[in-house]
Order: sequence, then structure tokens, then C-alpha cells
Amino acid sequence: MGERAIIVVATNVLLNLATPVVDGRSRAPTGEDPLRTVLTGYDVHVPSSVLGEVSEARGSDDLLSAAADLVFQASHHLTTHDVDADIEEPLDFGLDRGESHGIWLANELSAAMFVTDEFNTRNYLFVSLALDDRNILFTTPHILCVLTDHGLFTPQYVDAALTYYVETKQWDRQYVDQLRNTYLTE
Amino acid sequence: MDMMPEEKTRVDFNAPVSLVDQADVVADLLDVSRTQLLIEALRDEIEELATDDGFRQMISDAYYSGETDFETVESILGTEEAMRMKLFRASLNRDPPEPQIESELPPPAEFYDGDIPEWTPHDEADDTESRT
Repeated sequence: MGERAIIVVATNVLLNLATPVVDGRSRAPTGEDPLRTVLTGYDVHVPSSVLGEVSEARGSDDLLSAAADLVFQASHHLTTHDVDADIEEPLDFGLDRGESHGIWLANELSAAMFVTDEFNTRNYLFVSLALDDRNILFTTPHILCVLTDHGLFTPQYVDAALTYYVETKQWDRQYVDQLRNTYLTE
Repeated sequence: MDMMPEEKTRVDFNAPVSLVDQADVVADLLDVSRTQLLIEALRDEIEELATDDGFRQMISDAYYSGETDFETVESILGTEEAMRMKLFRASLNRDPPEPQIESELPPPAEFYDGDIPEWTPHDEADDTESRT
């Protein structure tokens, strides 16, 4: 067993990983805990602004708020960095704070992976441009597929989870289908 | 538009006589040539298709499977969307770092500070997420 790889994740990823875990509706996939799996398998770092954004999502009685509560309950598994104090010039790409700080941190730490779910928008282009190494860019659906490859999730769970996300979060169906074809079919 | 005149190619095709007659009447009325009318009609049709979800899906399927190239996607869906798809396609076989998990995950009670909250909608109408 080697050292856990250092990865940096965006706020939306933490919330998305937590969402199926807290969603008590029958449409939600069950049987696995993607948040616990990712936070256990990797050494996850975030800028402190990410925890700020998670806190802002709390306090309502909707699904997002419940997901934010769970992320908060797992926050001691995250290594946080006060990026504000270190950052010299903010990235000027119109990305939100957590995202910009995350990219900065991923570059700074030479992280093995930066995960964001901004893939429906032009922000995905900006994130690709802003990372020193574009090859470290991943998304939640991609990670779920890869972890299935490593035997950490059942293909049935991830298949159901991808459908759940596409339907509830309007994730780009075709991109997700491409991942399905690449990882979940033999 | 401030562009160099593009090279032209000659196209011959058969069409129902009545349709061609109709086109000629319209072209006459608009005081344009039959060729101009046809070119405009083709442009309009492609422009309209580009906003159609089903068609956009066909184009991206063709791109992901390698049947269509970047330039074609870019000319129809625009540079931004084409770039996004190019990055997606390049990312699909990317190898992320290996996760390190000793044997089993720590039990939830140990991992989470408190019980896992469970969210259920108050009533059927609540069965959608108000925020994303």
C-alpha cells in the first residue's frame, strides 16, 4: 500500500458525492457511499472557501442542505488551505471563488487530480486552461466509473447513480453515456 | 460579413417539377436567383437543426465515435461546444491516481461526525430539488 494520492476537489463534487447518500427517496441509488469512498481512498485537499460554500448551502430543509450537512460531518477528513492568504493574483476566468481557489491549490500542490462538475458549461474550458496540467482534470461521474474499475463500487450502483445524476442534476447525458460505454460495458 | 469569397462547387440534383416551379415563382417574387434561394434555404435549415437537441445529439455521437471531425462539429455547433466535446473525448481514457483503500471502508459511525442525515420530501410537490 502506497501513500494516498493528493487530490483537490470543488464544492460541487463534495455535494454531489453526498447527495445520493442522504437522499431518502426511492429513486436514489443505495448500497454504496461515494463520499466516504473518495475521502478514504484519496488524500483530499480543499481551499477553505470550499468549506465556506458548503456552509452556505446548509440551513434549509432541501436535499442540497442535507448533502451539505453530511459533507460538513466529514470535513475532518479534508485538509483545508487558506488560499486567500497565499494567492497572488486571482484567476480571472469568471469562475466562482471555490473553483478558482481549487485550481490554484491543485497547481500549487501539484495534485494528482482536480475534480469538478462544471462540465455542462463553458467553465469546463476555463478550468482546462487554468490547470498547469490538463490531464489531472476529472469529474464526479468519471471518478465513480474509475472506482468501479478498481472494484470499489458495483457497476450496478454506478449505473443507477449516473442515471440519477443525469435526471436530477441535468448532467450532460452524452458525456455520461460515453463514460458508461468506456467503463461499465465489457 | 467580412470574409474572403469561398470556393464554390456545382451541385446537380433531381427534384419534383412542381417544387422547382414553386421555387421559381418565389425566387421571381423575391427578385433573387433560384440558386440564391436554394442556398438561403439550406443555410436556414442547417441553422435550425443546430438548435435541435436531437440533432445536436446525433452530431456529438458521431464525433465521439470518430465519424465526424472537430471542424464539422465546430462549424455546426460553434467553437465553444466543439472545444468542450474535444476535451471530453480526450479525457475519457485518462488514468487517474489509484485510490488506496486498505481493506474496507471505515464504518459510517466512525467516519462521520454524527448520524447520516436522511432527506425526504415533505410531499409529492417537493419531489424536485429547488437548488442545484
